[in-house]
Amino acid sequence: MKFNIGDLPVLFPYPRIYPEQYDYMCDLKKTLDAGGHCVLEMPSGTGKTVSLLSLIVAYQQYYPEHRKLIYCSRTMSEIEKALAELKALMKYRADQLGYVEEFRGMGLTSRKNLCLHPSVKREKSGAVVDARCRSLTAGFVKEKKDRGEDVNNLDLLEPHNLIPNGVWTLDGIMKYGEEHKQCPYFTSRRMMTFCNVIIYSYHYLLDPKIAERVSKELSNDCIVVFDEAHNIDNVCIESLSTDITEESLRRATRGAQNLETKISDMKDSDADKLRAEYDSLVAGLRGAQEDRDEDAFMANPALPDDLLKEAIPGNIRRAEHFVAFLKRFIEYLKTRMKVRQVISETPPSFLAHLREYTHIEKKPLRFCAERLTSLVRTLELTNIEDYQPLQEVATFATLVATYEKGFLLILEPYETETAEVPNPVLHFTCLDAAIAMKPVFDRFSTVIITSGTISPLEMYPKMLNFETVVQESYPMTLARRSFLPMIVTRGSDQVAISSGFQVRNEPSVVRNYGNLLTEFSKLTPDGMVVFFPSYLYMESIISMWQGMGILDEVWKYKLILVETPDAQETSLALETYRTACCNGRGAILLCVARGKVSEGIDFDHQYGRTVLCIGVPFQYTESRILKARLEFLRETYRIKENDFLSFDAMRHAAQCLGRVLRGKDDYGIMVLADKRFLRKRTQLPKWINEAILDAEVDLSTDMAVGTAKKFLRTMAQPFPSLDQDGVSTWRIEDLEAHKEKMENESIRQLRAEMEGIENGGGKEVVQNGNGKEEAQHMGDDAFDDAEAEAEMMKLDH
Amino acid sequence: MSRLKSQSTALTDDPLNDICPVCKSNRYLNPTLQFLINPECYHKMCSTCVDRIFTSGPASCPVVGCGKTLRKKGFHKAFFADLKIERECDIRKRVGAVFNRREDEFESLSSWNDYLEMVEGLIFDLVEGTMKEKAKAEETLRAHRAANAKEIEDNKRAGLEAKDVELQREREEKEAVRQRRLAILREQEEDKLDVEKERREMLERLARGDGDANAITKHAQKVILKKSSARRNLAESNFADTANGSAPSNLSIRGLKKKVAPKAELAYDPFGGLDLKPARYTLQSSYENEWLDNAKNNTLHMAGGYSMNEYYSRTMFEAFSGLGIFIGDQVVEKSLPAAPATIGTVGAAEAAGGRLRQEMNTDDVF
Repeated sequence: MKFNIGDLPVLFPYPRIYPEQYDYMCDLKKTLDAGGHCVLEMPSGTGKTVSLLSLIVAYQQYYPEHRKLIYCSRTMSEIEKALAELKALMKYRADQLGYVEEFRGMGLTSRKNLCLHPSVKREKSGAVVDARCRSLTAGFVKEKKDRGEDVNNLDLLEPHNLIPNGVWTLDGIMKYGEEHKQCPYFTSRRMMTFCNVIIYSYHYLLDPKIAERVSKELSNDCIVVFDEAHNIDNVCIESLSTDITEESLRRATRGAQNLETKISDMKDSDADKLRAEYDSLVAGLRGAQEDRDEDAFMANPALPDDLLKEAIPGNIRRAEHFVAFLKRFIEYLKTRMKVRQVISETPPSFLAHLREYTHIEKKPLRFCAERLTSLVRTLELTNIEDYQPLQEVATFATLVATYEKGFLLILEPYETETAEVPNPVLHFTCLDAAIAMKPVFDRFSTVIITSGTISPLEMYPKMLNFETVVQESYPMTLARRSFLPMIVTRGSDQVAISSGFQVRNEPSVVRNYGNLLTEFSKLTPDGMVVFFPSYLYMESIISMWQGMGILDEVWKYKLILVETPDAQETSLALETYRTACCNGRGAILLCVARGKVSEGIDFDHQYGRTVLCIGVPFQYTESRILKARLEFLRETYRIKENDFLSFDAMRHAAQCLGRVLRGKDDYGIMVLADKRFLRKRTQLPKWINEAILDAEVDLSTDMAVGTAKKFLRTMAQPFPSLDQDGVSTWRIEDLEAHKEKMENESIRQLRAEMEGIENGGGKEVVQNGNGKEEAQHMGDDAFDDAEAEAEMMKLDH
Repeated sequence: MSRLKSQSTALTDDPLNDICPVCKSNRYLNPTLQFLINPECYHKMCSTCVDRIFTSGPASCPVVGCGKTLRKKGFHKAFFADLKIERECDIRKRVGAVFNRREDEFESLSSWNDYLEMVEGLIFDLVEGTMKEKAKAEETLRAHRAANAKEIEDNKRAGLEAKDVELQREREEKEAVRQRRLAILREQEEDKLDVEKERREMLERLARGDGDANAITKHAQKVILKKSSARRNLAESNFADTANGSAPSNLSIRGLKKKVAPKAELAYDPFGGLDLKPARYTLQSSYENEWLDNAKNNTLHMAGGYSMNEYYSRTMFEAFSGLGIFIGDQVVEKSLPAAPATIGTVGAAEAAGGRLRQEMNTDDVF
């Protein structure tokens, strides 16, 4: 389908388009034209990715700047999905245009997923693969070795033509690599600068340790998209935080000792090399050119703006001095870990204490990571995994010396409040998500943050400290009411239900939750997913249900499966759940709102007909890190503790609800079971909130069951997809009609403004503005004005 | 192999297995076992041994082959588990007291780095060098101390001052955090009272029974909502003002304190850069007004050197002074200091268990 947005011709690879997709594209174009950042929320399962890609690719190809697209997503499967979409889109474009465009699209993922080396690729852990790959491909190794298979082939090809044009999915590039004997990982790494579209994970842009190496050469006019970005603040924070344990310190000591012996060995055998390194450090030359090479041991963990651009301080210039320095620092950390009480302090006070006891100044500490990299390169170490803990310590050192504000050191000697055996952990935690995000916003002129559930929209600009040009949430247009969100606040006996701390273990509440589960297990066809706020609560409530005989009752209707913190167990449970949903009466999956299942695993169609959210999924508020962060948010961004907690809980709840609805032909029931949801309803994404009718708020269990039964009965009626045409899906004619209408509308508006308010023109304008609300009052299945218009059009024909 | 090794280190790291090398008593027999060291020789022994051997005056170290004369006064608890590091840090302290130059004393960064490396090398010789190297290093140290006594003293003082400033700053930040927290608590309290009051009023009106009950409840809800949103807006706008206004000023203070770069002396300006030229009117050389004519023409007035221009300028100044100043604005500007991220961080530290930390500060950290 081909249409124009403004002057931009867009090729959309499907014969029909959803109204919200069209709106989404219009807003995207507005953002790109204006050159700013935007936050967009679009319901899950309405083709966000394809609308994004088709608009941006059209934009790229039409305008002479050819702005590059960097598309960041969260998980591997999402990246692969996006690549497949892109491939289909480009094929469609080629068919429509009659020629193949000069275009290259590529995904990038870790070495582990892209390795072809016969023995390395068999390693299980990503870190080991990385380390082994480096030991095979590092510059000095290459120099020594004769050219073998694998990577070395790359050097023979022209650097800008490692791979022909086209869209390369991860599988595709693996196959190509195998055929041509060239490493897929390095191919995609080196081709990044010559790609029109790059698809990779957030970390490649946000984590300074990786971003420095991977994303450095991207130009400033790139269009950056963060998809599924509702958790982006946590990703930012994680990328700048580190934890240090006693075990890692012990291993770091061993690493330092190894370094020491290696240095003395080298002094005996090859003193020139050490001297050469020393000379270059004296001259203030950093191995900048080599540094950026893929094979560097580790990158500086600090953000590029915060790096000191000067020579390495004199007192860690010599290799032996530096190792002694590291040992002193590790020993100091060990001593601090012996304390048996919780300590939280700011980096400046930590540094002051450090200086008092070990005479380590701030500046050499800042250069720790860089110096270690240089030393490892000079010593030509290949078994890099042994030095991983040492690297962690160096990372910690650099971060703690670089950042004063927005960071905190928390030492927790015991794992839990009641533990007797100490297991101290030193958290160096970032409190401010804006720190990691800032370079991205500063560097790229357009950053698009989008997700299915990103409400309330204004929270993100506040938290990440940026300005938006467009900030929009789209409703879902539906030809029939295909999902039923309800808020259940009472049990059948009228006792309020809540997972609030005071009442969560009361038998009446637990029983009412149990009854709710039983009732819905009776009426739900196929799969049903239940979310609890935490593992702890899930365990306690399940054991209480067992005592009350509720599980036995549920057992009659459905298989019961439980998510556990163990990933393998959970994936087994998930597999069984899917099998059960495809055969027989279906199953119930009990899982946790912040667990693995709640993010990224879809329960479309029969895999999820009901989602039951038991309790508001608040974070564990006793965590010291969370407390510190709340305090910081309040002081710095004026976000109140409660606002943030409830925002965070509701975004997780919305994620859970979004799991069951993955498209317009899908249907499902969403139950929010807690009386506290009543007040928080406005914090749900617009598309869910608008679908909650006033009559379906504040229900008791039996009322909810009645409504759900009625809903399922309507869903059972045959529903030909033709009925959707013109309402929730547009053909090209519908789109043209809509556009014409919008134009007429704007002309009329302009005219009305010119004529002035007295002539009655003003009234028209006002009516336009209220159109949405009115349409909603028209009836159950009229969802917004687009739909109302479409219906009107039908009458005309 | 590596696991074995880690286990063995774990064993020696475990204080439960520590045995006093002198009296061979262990923690099992004496749960309060505590090890002390003397920086003369860094041989550790338990506190009972120290009491036993050194109470009656100086004695030689009981460790075989040492034989250094030790005094009880010199014994203290080791900060580091690794005594080699403990010794190194003591040496560093000693050297640091002598070689205490600061970076701004050097002309270029590279010379500062060379200096640092020289000092580091000296310390290295003292820590790990052979007897000869050690003696040489000691000699250099002594020579340097003798040659630069005055400068060393100056730098020491400067270092102490810098520390004081740092402490002062920290204290100020903490105080600011406390103030802000109090203010916010007060605000919340007021909010609550407000809502409560509104609700009571609504109930009263309902009880009185004038007007439609639905209308009253709706109205009351609206009022509460409006108030809370107004309050939020106010807070936000305040925040925006303050965030733009005073955040940099706080930063600049910190910069100043760290580095007092003397600026080039400018000509003395008694008004401190204040522009006294009138902005709202232009002074003319003469004004036509009939009641001025008398004064203009009368020589008696002019006799003492009185100039009409002085009179004009003063009158005009008085007429225009105070225009364009709005008291309201000035009052608002003063309210609520901004919260730069530093304060947020300090506050966060407090929130995550600050109370414990303060307790800790009173005695030794460990």
